[in-house]
Order: sequence, then C-alpha cells, then structure tokens
Amino acid sequence: MAQGQIVAGYLAPHPPHLVYGENPPQNEPKSRGGWEQLRWAYERARATLDELKPDVLLVHSPHWITQQGHHFLGVKELSGKSVDPIFPNLFRYSFNLDVDVELAEACCEQARELGLTTKMMRNPNFRVDYGTITTLHMMRPQWDIPVVGISANNSPYYLKLDEGLEEMDRLGKATAEAIRKTGRRAVLLASNTLCHWHFHEEPEIPEDMSMEHPQDYNGYLWDMKVIELLRQGKTNEVFELLPDFIQEAFAEIKSGAFTWMFSAMGYPNIPAELHGYGTVIGTGNAVMEWNLIKAGLAQAA
Amino acid sequence: MSVVSAFLVPGSPLPIVKRDNPPWGALAVAMEVAGERLRASNPDTVLVYSTQWFAVLDELWQTRAHSVGTHVDENWHEFGDLPFDIRADQEMAEACIAAAIEAGVKSKAVDYDHFPIDTGTIVAKHFLVGDADIPLVICANNLYHDGETTETIARVAVEQGDKLGRRIAVVGVGGMSGSFFRHEIDIADDHVAVPAEDAWNRKILDLIAAADVAGLRAAWPDFAREAKPDMGFKQMAFLLGALGGGYVSAQVLGYGPLYGTGGAVVHITP
Repeated sequence: MAQGQIVAGYLAPHPPHLVYGENPPQNEPKSRGGWEQLRWAYERARATLDELKPDVLLVHSPHWITQQGHHFLGVKELSGKSVDPIFPNLFRYSFNLDVDVELAEACCEQARELGLTTKMMRNPNFRVDYGTITTLHMMRPQWDIPVVGISANNSPYYLKLDEGLEEMDRLGKATAEAIRKTGRRAVLLASNTLCHWHFHEEPEIPEDMSMEHPQDYNGYLWDMKVIELLRQGKTNEVFELLPDFIQEAFAEIKSGAFTWMFSAMGYPNIPAELHGYGTVIGTGNAVMEWNLIKAGLAQAA
Repeated sequence: MSVVSAFLVPGSPLPIVKRDNPPWGALAVAMEVAGERLRASNPDTVLVYSTQWFAVLDELWQTRAHSVGTHVDENWHEFGDLPFDIRADQEMAEACIAAAIEAGVKSKAVDYDHFPIDTGTIVAKHFLVGDADIPLVICANNLYHDGETTETIARVAVEQGDKLGRRIAVVGVGGMSGSFFRHEIDIADDHVAVPAEDAWNRKILDLIAAADVAGLRAAWPDFAREAKPDMGFKQMAFLLGALGGGYVSAQVLGYGPLYGTGGAVVHITP
C-alpha cells in the first residue's frame, strides 16, 4: 500500500444559509438566493477540490458535540433528513453519505494511542449534524467522495483553552498518522466560522442581503487581521494570537477544527488561498485553502 | 392558578438507555414515581422546558401536532435509540408565542417534520407522560436568555394556560452540578465527580424541599459559579416563573450521579 498523504486543508464554515441560498434539490426550503459572495467562494473551492482528486474528505464539526471523548462516524452508509435545530426554516436536507470506516477506525485507534478518549459511532439511526452536512455539501455537492466525520469534544470549553486545543493538536497528529498508514489521499475540512458574534433576531426575509453586515466591528477587524496573516503564510503568528482572537471575536475556531486541521498538516507556514469572505447573520466566514501539493509538501495524483 | 404539579428532572438519556446500571436505574425509578404523580394530578397539558433544546435567535415553541420518530443521543449512541411520540397542545403553544412577543420576547413556532427534538424533552416525556394522551407545550432554552427572562417566559405561558382553562403540569428538564468524567469509567461506580459539587447539590435540594425560595435565590449565584449546574440552573428559573415565584412544598424523589454530573428528581406541589 502506498503511503497516504494529506493533499490540502480547507477552512469550510457551515452556515446552513449557504445551502438555503443555493436551492439544491436536497433542501426543502426555497430561497431567492443570498450570501452570494460566500457561495461563489465555495464554487472556487469546489473547483480546486475537484483537481485534487482525493480519496476521502475528513470533516471536524462543532455541531456534533461530545463530552466523553472524540467520536468518529463508523457506519458505512448514513442517510436521513437533517433539520437544523436553530434554523429549521432554512435547512431541512435529505442526505446520504458514504463513510470511510476503515480510515475512521484508524483515526480512532491512533488518537487512543496518543492518550485521547475515543469512540466509534456505530448506531445506524444516528442523525448526522447539520454542520458536517453543510460543509460537505458546500465543498462537494455530488456526494461522491467517502467521508470521515469527527465530533467536537467540548474540551476547549470544559477545560482551559490551551488544554482543550492541545487535545485537538493530538487529534490532528493522530489523523495524519492514520491517513499515512491507510494510504489515503485526504483533504481536511475545518468546519468553523471565524468571528462568531451574531444577530439575536432573524431578519423577516432571511435572504434579504440589505440586512446582512458584521455584527461586531472589533470582530470584523480581528477576522481581517487573521485572514491577512494566513494569506501571508504566517501560520505561527496566527496560532500565537489564537487565544486573544478566540476571546475577543468569540471565534468558533475555539471548538477545535482549525487546530485539528493545522496540526494534521504540520502547521505549514504557507500562504493560504482566500476563496472569499462574507457574513452570515453577522458572523464572519472565510473559505480558505492550503494546497500542500502547490507548496511542495504533498505529491500530485 | 392553573398549575397542578411541577417537576424538576434530569435530561440525561442514561436512566432510559442503561437503566440496568444501578445508579442510573435508581434515577429511572424516581422518574417513574414522578410520572405517576404527574398523571395523578390530571393535567390537560404538560409545559416542558429543556436545557438541551438550544435556541440562539428568538424563543422557539414546538407547534407540530404530532412528532414521531427515533432519536439517537449524540454522546451516548452506543446504548441504543430513544423512540418518541409527542403530541403538541397547538392552541396553547400558539397563544404562548403571541403572548411572549407581547411581553417583549420575540418568539417563533417550530412545525417541521424530522425536527430534532432534544434528548431531555424525550426523556421527560418518556418517564413523566408515558403513554398517557396528554399534549405538550415545549419551549426552547435560548442560550442568551438569563434567569429573569426565562421566568418571564414561563409566567407568560402559564397565563395563557389560565386563559384557555388548562390544568398544567410544568417540567423543568436539566442537570444539577456540571462536572463530568471525560474518560471511560466503571459505570457501576458512577458518583458525583466533585465532592464539593455534591455538597452544593444537596444544599440546593434541601432549600427546594423546604420551599425556601428566598434562600434558594440567595444561594443561586454561588451554586452557579462553584457547581457549574446545567445552563446556570435555568430549568429551575423556569419552574419558579411558572409557579408564580413560590410553592407549597417539594419532595426530592431521587438524586444521583449521571457520569459525574448530578441529577435530581423533584416533585413540587404548587
């Protein structure tokens, strides 16, 4: 078996509004569009993902919250209708996804070897969370690439921030090792919003873009600072600023996906490709790519 | 007042899906006793507030006439499924929405097939209502609402029950102390993870059992800070709002550990 590798990582946030704005056949509610800048950003990300020809997409979602360990989807095929508990008016999506169970089990085992509590999710009636589904739909609406779904253990909230993120760092290292051992060509998806200050009331017409704007100016400034540093390839500097960013911008990356992804990639100081930025009910969302092939850190197919 | 009974119960699925484990089985038995008492109070409607139904925009109210399905807990999926069959008191829920908006709490109806009803609500319905044909009014825990707003929502809901002539049982679903075991344990030896939190739980339950609402309110901030109760113990704020700020008596039917957190089953007589 050839040695596996991570070929790219994407920051791929999951506001269900983006699916709602796109009007795919899988989603019941219909819109008149909205959030175009972010949806066009995802169009560009879809095109680059297609060129990468991965075997598997791994997604870490903050909306599958677990307390006892880090969990991995472990049923070969999961299907059903996912209704967003926060935005049921926007997201009622019929999904059917293939899970790369072998890789999920390898991730689970590697993480356990690194001292983390881990668990495989084997219940076929399990409802996959809307964060996982939104990110996967926005990145690959064809649903033709197997996935590994990883829960967000609440350690960054339950423990001290640095202790929680250290667990995500270990989870990333375990993920990379599992990918290497199983010979997969993998793409990582960090399903996180940046600044997470949001509106407290929904506009009457959700897709009325005249109502959309950053909820918090300081949070917006933080987003721009972090994005600019990432575009310059200053990963180390971003991780030094991470605690302040999380604190001041209420950044959703606290939940761990961002750290997990960068740890798995080895925290490369390479320039990110910004596909686009936009707000959703006031939160800051960036679609960004770290292409390890272009950076000479992985091999083309 | 239309409230005929009130209950504080935990929302963990463990007493259902793993009741053969003695510590969790004891809580299951206490929940069953609570269920007998709820049904004996002969309510027309059960008003449920679960800390596990999160809302962040507006206050949400379940108005779907009949919700049936199978839920799997996101953390305890290995122990099996949670089937549910819930009927809503649509008339009262709609009245609550209108009245809450009038009271300054923007509110919305939730009427969607496959809506993910939370574990806590399903657990409460299973034990307290069982197969009895009693409809529910279920409202969400908006994460940005404080205790005062939560009390207002409950008060407004009960006022609507009054106007409609309903006899109401009120259920606040949520945990006591919040520290839990993050690693795998021998579940037969489950216990409240932090002794100081155990002491806090017992102190708070003593105050509730003594109907000492003033004492409870005085201790609440320290309890919230030191024992980290589920959502700041907002489920109790909801109960107090529904009860008009006081009640005659209360009995603790059960108290025990739920993977390190504290869970209590309390019957409150208005």
